[in-house]
Amino acid sequence: MNALAVAGLDVAFGPRAVLRGLDLTVARGELLGLVGPNGAGKSTLLRAFVGLVPRRAGAVDVLGLDPARQSLAIRRRCCYLPGETGVYQQMTGAAFLAFAHGFYPALQRALQERLLAQFQLPLRQRVRTYSAGMKQKLALVATLVPDVDLYLLDEPDRALDASVRFFLRDVLLDLRGAGKTIVLSSHHLSEIESLADRMEFLAGGALVAPDRIAAARARLRRRVRLHLAPGTALPPGGREFAREPDGTLVVETDADPLGWLAALPAERVRSAEVGTVRLEELYQLLLPGQPAGGAP
Amino acid sequence: MIAGKTWREIRVMALVYLLILELLAIPVILLWPDIYADLQRSTLLRNMGIDWLKRIGEGVGNRDSDLAYTNWSAVMLFFRSTNLVGIAAAVLLGTGLFAREREASTFEFLLARPVSRGSILWQKSWPCALAVTLPIFLVNASAPFWSRQIGYDLPQWELFLASLHAAVYVLCFLAFTTWLSVLSRVQAHVAFWVGGITVLQIGIYLTQRLRPYSLFRLADFEWYGPVLTGNTPAWQMFDPIRSHGYTTWLLLATALFYALAHRALRRAEL
Repeated sequence: MNALAVAGLDVAFGPRAVLRGLDLTVARGELLGLVGPNGAGKSTLLRAFVGLVPRRAGAVDVLGLDPARQSLAIRRRCCYLPGETGVYQQMTGAAFLAFAHGFYPALQRALQERLLAQFQLPLRQRVRTYSAGMKQKLALVATLVPDVDLYLLDEPDRALDASVRFFLRDVLLDLRGAGKTIVLSSHHLSEIESLADRMEFLAGGALVAPDRIAAARARLRRRVRLHLAPGTALPPGGREFAREPDGTLVVETDADPLGWLAALPAERVRSAEVGTVRLEELYQLLLPGQPAGGAP
Repeated sequence: MIAGKTWREIRVMALVYLLILELLAIPVILLWPDIYADLQRSTLLRNMGIDWLKRIGEGVGNRDSDLAYTNWSAVMLFFRSTNLVGIAAAVLLGTGLFAREREASTFEFLLARPVSRGSILWQKSWPCALAVTLPIFLVNASAPFWSRQIGYDLPQWELFLASLHAAVYVLCFLAFTTWLSVLSRVQAHVAFWVGGITVLQIGIYLTQRLRPYSLFRLADFEWYGPVLTGNTPAWQMFDPIRSHGYTTWLLLATALFYALAHRALRRAEL
């Protein structure tokens, strides 16, 4: 059974179309990762689920309810973390959490204790004294602790350092393990890949077809980033694709990157990285109008 | 939840507003005997070329000192305090209700709570309404006590009626400001618009032939004077058919602005 079902969703702000004929389903208990560049429509899609933006066309079903007519009922069963951290600066952290949690009949107390123990937030201090990361942690506690069926998280890892992001990943996996449905957007591709059951790439207001993503990823996996001793010639089957400001050479190979790398004299290779798919490179390949580099 | 949060945010302002009203009221009551004596000696106000100032002068300089004191109370406790402090309080509290949420990026957080937008408006509005109206009743309820210290008395029922009208008048400004606050993304813009309209109304009020068209005509000496002296019975305040019914009109305007704010919030985008 689906927690979310979207068919032909169009959302526009005035003349500007933000989502165009979007189709998407998310099963109950699934953890979906949304990836896409700024302005792709990720936040708008999450807002459309809770009825915060009106749709121009299409059908949206959230937990069996229509956000256009039953947004209040949806918001009772769903927690939404906005992309822009919205916390009341004049409140103390404790007062903010009491306020945010007060709207929900059931809370996950054990999870609250776990989050607060990890985040070590100064809850007696006013939120205006918090750093950006602390405010984001506070917003996460406010969003994840209510015991609801669906969590919509717009860039939950924003302003968080790596260790907290890893902790958050464990928390989200536990929530999914408890049968909760989670949809999150992120700019950290590798982390979302290791976390999500499924990943969708949003560009220009529509989902990118899976075969296009697979092709782009296959191409990126054939790239090798390496530092070579000066004057080293590249073996056949690979050509220089780019040279980064720190001197890293990006080589695009025709077939097996490891085989190509093995053809280089080992003493000439100072460092090498193979198979890494970087989000910005994926954007370059998938987004219309972006320079995509050499032929696939 | 939201009402409690709103009250915690405005309670200090509400207390300061109450104190200002009270601190404005006490001296004008206690100094009345000296002021009355001065008025008896001076004919300046009574000979003013501006008709409404002349009427105030005649009212507060009346040979019947009880009547003069009641008129003085109408001018100072209501005409001055309501239009000066009451409107300022309504604007200060109303401007931030929603525009500040947008400025602080908490508007989306608020709308995403499992509570209807109508409820959000109501829970934000009623603490503010209480904060701007209750002090008017409290201060004017204390006026008879201070009046007795100088040997005068004020009629309780008429004082209540005048307070009721003043409260509705201020409430109307609050509802108007709230509506603009829902529409605006910047708190300063709301203050600018309400302030601009208020200054325009003052300008109209001070212009001899235009004065009947000013909003301040609904809460000036010529309105409060007859109410406090008992010459405007309650039914005239509320009956817009057989009399002017200004209080009812103000109530209707308040309801209209609240409805407009409700509609604007239902349609509000992030």
